[in-house]
This record gives sequence, C-alpha cells and structure tokens, in this order.
Amino acid sequence: MNKDPVDLVRSVLDHEIVDADDVPCGMVDNLELSGGPGTTLEVDSLLTGPGAWTERLPWPFPRLARAVVGRRVSKIPWSEVASLGDRVKLKSTAHELGLDARDRRLARWLKRIPGSEAD
Amino acid sequence: MKVLEIFLGILTSVGGFVEIGELTFALNAGSKFDFALLWVVVLGTVGIIVYGEMAGRIAAVRKQPVFHLIRERDGLTAGLLTLIAANLVNLLTCAAEVGGIALVWQLMTGWAYRPLVAGTFVLLALAVWLLPFKWIERVFGLFGLSMVVFVAAAIASGPQWQQVVGGFVPQLPKAATSSEMWLYAYFAVALFSSIVLPYETYFYASGAIEDRWTTKDVNLNRIIIIVGSVLGSLLCIALVVLGSQQLSARAIEAQLPGTAALAAGVALGHWALIAALLGMLFAFGGAAIETTLSSAYNLAQFFGWPWGKFRKPREAPRFHVAWFVLLLLSTLLILSGIDPVEVVEYSIVFAVVTLPFTYFPMLVIAADKRVMKGFANGSLSNALGWSFLVLTTIAALAAIPLLLITHGGRG
Repeated sequence: MNKDPVDLVRSVLDHEIVDADDVPCGMVDNLELSGGPGTTLEVDSLLTGPGAWTERLPWPFPRLARAVVGRRVSKIPWSEVASLGDRVKLKSTAHELGLDARDRRLARWLKRIPGSEAD
Repeated sequence: MKVLEIFLGILTSVGGFVEIGELTFALNAGSKFDFALLWVVVLGTVGIIVYGEMAGRIAAVRKQPVFHLIRERDGLTAGLLTLIAANLVNLLTCAAEVGGIALVWQLMTGWAYRPLVAGTFVLLALAVWLLPFKWIERVFGLFGLSMVVFVAAAIASGPQWQQVVGGFVPQLPKAATSSEMWLYAYFAVALFSSIVLPYETYFYASGAIEDRWTTKDVNLNRIIIIVGSVLGSLLCIALVVLGSQQLSARAIEAQLPGTAALAAGVALGHWALIAALLGMLFAFGGAAIETTLSSAYNLAQFFGWPWGKFRKPREAPRFHVAWFVLLLLSTLLILSGIDPVEVVEYSIVFAVVTLPFTYFPMLVIAADKRVMKGFANGSLSNALGWSFLVLTTIAALAAIPLLLITHGGRG
C-alpha cells in the first residue's frame, strides 16, 4: 500500500479481509497504530480474532466476551495489504500468513464424514 | 433473459413464502378479526419486496451479504447485538419449524411425536449436507407449492367478496373493547412481522451470492422478488379468508398447524387435505433449512469466515459446523417439550425487534450513489425504504409491550 491518508474507520475497520485468492480470512477487528504527538500516525498491522474485537466492546462486556470466545489475535502487517475497498485484500494467501490454522484442523475432521466432498 | 430461471425462481419463492409463523398468525387473524387485517398482509408484502429487492441488488452489485453491511455500518457493538438477537430468533423459528414438521408428520402417520422430531432433524441435516444450494431451494420451494390448495379452498369456502375487498383498507375493528383493540394491534404487528421475517432477507442476499449473481441479474432479482412475493401473499390472504370462513364461525382457535390442513379438507375434501399437509411439510422443511443456514451465514459474515454451500465443508469448515450445531440446538429445544406454536409466537414478536437494525444499514448502502453507482436506490425505493424503516421501528417498539398486555395474543 502507498502512504496516502486513509479513513481508517470508514474504509478499514470492521471490513472483511480476503486473501490473494479472494478467500475470506477474518474481519479487521482492530488496528495497531504507531506514531505520537508531532508525528504522522501510521497503521502497523491489522488485528483479527476475538481478542481484538472483544476489547472494543463497552464495559463490562470485554471480560465476559473473552471468557466465551477466547483471546486469540492474529496480526497482519500493513505491508501485506494489496488494496482497500468493500474488502481489504491481502497480497498473500491465508495459508502463507498462518490465518487458516483453525479451519485446517477442523477440515481434517470434517473430511472423514461421508458426502463431505460432494458438490 | 433466463426465462426458466425466472420461472423457477418465482415458483420457489411462492412455495417458500409461508412458514409456520405466517400460517398460524394468518389463520388466527382471520378467525379472530375476519378480514379486518388483510391490509396488513399487503403492507408486509410491500415491505418484503422493498427490502428483499435492496438486499438482492446489493448482493449482486457489491457481492456483500447483509451481515457485512450490518457490521460495517451499524458498528461492532450494535452489530453484535443484532447478530445475537437475529440468531436467537432464527433458533426459535427453526425450532418451531422442526416441531411443525413433526406435528404434520404425526398427523399423516399416527407415529409418536418425539421420534418424529429426531427423524426430522436427521432428514434436514442430510438434505443440507448432501444437496447443492439450488436443489435445496428448488426441492422444498416447488413441493411447498402444493399449499396453493389453500387458495382453492378459500375460494370454495364462498366468502362475501365485498367484505374481503373491504379488508384491504386500513381499519380498526368496529365497536371493540379496549382489550379487543390491544389484541387487534398485537395481531397486526405479529402478522406484519411473520411476513417480513428478517431471516428471509439474510437468506435471500446470501443465496444471491451462492448463485453468483452479478449486475446483469439486478432485473432478475426485481422480477423474482416482486412476482414471487405478490403470488406468495395470495397464500397468506387465502389463510386469513379460511380462518374467517372455517374457524371463526365454529369458534376454533388454530393452535396446531394441522388446523389449516383441516380447513382446506373441509372446503375441498380428502385430496385437498393431503395436498395441504404435504405442502406444509415441505414449506416448513424449507424454512427450517433457511433459518439454520441463515444463522450460519450471519455468524460467518460477521466474523469473516469462509462461507457458503458452494464451498465444500473442508473449504468452509466453521460455516458447516455452525449450521449443524444450530439445527441440533433447535431440535433439542423442541425435544425438551416446548410447544412449537408457542415458540412461533415468541420468535415472530422478537423478530420484529431486530428489523430496524437490519434494514437501516441496507437502506444506507442501497441509497449511496458512491458505492452503488448506477444501481443506487431511485426516489421511489428511498421513499418506501424510509417509510418502512419508520414503520418497523414503531412495530419493534410496540411488539414486546403488546405481547405482555395481550398475554401472548390470548387477550
């Protein structure tokens, strides 16, 4: 991505993330920013996973939600973002970025059920 | 244009228009207030056309299903509340449909109710697991069409047509006591809600993406939703008329879905009874699958999981596990002994509460010329969209107080 200013709330936060093959691999649940007074604020990484969105809920729900859905967070470096729009598109696949580990574990189990390969 | 696709699309949307909630409330509305609530059927039909068309158009143009929009435009907290509420309503609706299927099946066979509930779960799970999306839509939609027997039965029951036509004018019941007025208001809100159930919009938009609609399908979307809903609403009108003609005179309250089939049987005989039962079996089956898939779509779209029946289970594992778990939970709820018709009443009333949160982001996106370009709402869609948003907000605010005041419609 280039260094042009971006409206993070309208164009990035709470948008779907798709990988290089257009497969959904999470939502932009939170952002990791860097910078400070007198410097330009920059996005370091996109955060996705329950640990990232639960902390945005109003009190007292973050603790309650974390107890139910866990604290897992995946970081996607901003340099991995290929384009912004209706979706945030990445340059790599979910597999290359390690974003599909849970799906692959579950898929191994589902593949054993007859009919799982039917179209 | 794809004539066969339009034809099948219209037929499936007619066959899938009525589910257990609409059937129960339409029949009871007729039995309690004769034709005085027919105008609500028209209002609900226009509402589902306006927002169904928007959902299908957004899906075709932006490839975005409803819960993407809810998350993007309502924000995380309001979106999460909508997700929880929508899926609880879907769970209750799906439970009611599963129970309804078992009750109809019991009427046809005389077998015990609980094993039939378990059998219903197995058959529905197998259908979703094994059948492609289009087959699910068409098998249940087309067999559900045998419910058109209700239209024939309503005509055969010989209503006073002048009074039927008079029912399409918004009105209040004449010389009613205050408790009758509350009951009338409750049935107006519940009948409206049963026609515009939010899962229909979620499922319709997700289905458009499953069917890989593009901007070329915007007109297909418009024709299917308008013609399908108008013809589907005739089934609902027929049920109100049957409720008035067959149940009101005999002071029967439709507490079981079989009452509707009996009303058709009384009017037209043995074969009409069988056609009505078969139609209900498939219409409830279609609705059970749509609600359980809709819940899985909602979860996957809100959290960004791969989703869709077009993806094999190994490509969208969390989505496939989600629909199975939700179907299982709905079945367990019914197996716990809860009356399906009572579940219907609660699901319909709570459904209307989630509607403004569903409609608002859709209206904002559909009206936005920057994102929809030449496919943005015209002035008619915007005027109707805002009118129905106000109407559903009023219905949402009134729904729970009316449920409490009328003791769940029992007066």
